[in-house]
Amino acid sequence: MEMKINNRITWVVLILLTTTTALITEFKYAAYFIMGISVIKSMLVAFQFMELKYAHPFWKTALPLLILLLAIIILLILQ
Amino acid sequence: MMKTDNASSNKIFYPPGGILLWIIIFLELITFGMGIIAFVYYGKQDSELFHLSKLNLNKTIGVINTLLLLTSGFFMAESVKGIRHLNLQKTKSYLQLTMMGGLLFTILKGIEYFQKIQAGITLETNLFYTFYWLLTGFHLAHIVVGMIILYFMYHQLTKKIATVDVDDFEASAAFWHMCDLIWLLLFPVLYLLY
Repeated sequence: MEMKINNRITWVVLILLTTTTALITEFKYAAYFIMGISVIKSMLVAFQFMELKYAHPFWKTALPLLILLLAIIILLILQ
Repeated sequence: MMKTDNASSNKIFYPPGGILLWIIIFLELITFGMGIIAFVYYGKQDSELFHLSKLNLNKTIGVINTLLLLTSGFFMAESVKGIRHLNLQKTKSYLQLTMMGGLLFTILKGIEYFQKIQAGITLETNLFYTFYWLLTGFHLAHIVVGMIILYFMYHQLTKKIATVDVDDFEASAAFWHMCDLIWLLLFPVLYLLY
């Protein structure tokens, strides 16, 4: 039951974050927020839906690092 | 009746879906990531062209497609839960909804592509659209492959004696979620960042 609620809450949060992302494109520091939200959404999908939270710490560290690295490189280029 | 074969013991060091699939997931993310970084880099070099081209993209379709994929991912996660609890009906229902999400994504992408082709926008229009067609096209190919895999799983579940390996089912789910992950990086860079 707990998992079910968690999946549903995660889904609602993902929908809210996506809607937020679409609405903040005109803001001054939009790129940082958009990429930040994108990283958070990816983590939610990976840890909750893909159940990475039950995996070995190696995987739990490697995936966030990779996604974070991609986001940082994108933001550095955009600067 | 449903038989399952869950050889999940001593898998503490393996991520859900299996280590091989996660290696593929990492390689896919790195490959798409490099494509996205190249897109942003060239966008910085010719910011006016990329900005004007980006204005022609339908942001609404992009947002709806993101919502569809995320919802489809939620259904997939519930479907995995269903098979673990040997609840065949729940597994099948959520799997159908997952595939429906993928189908709607494909249809919307098709409409978007059709609009672009109608407007004379192709792979060779400019560098922005070369990236646009290649990145979204390869992603769509993954969605289609994912749907074929899910349909195969669904077909196995509809047999009189449904024989499904939970590990295979989890691997299929992980592949589907990988499409989500790729899109979550692709969507903001292609449609939102200016």
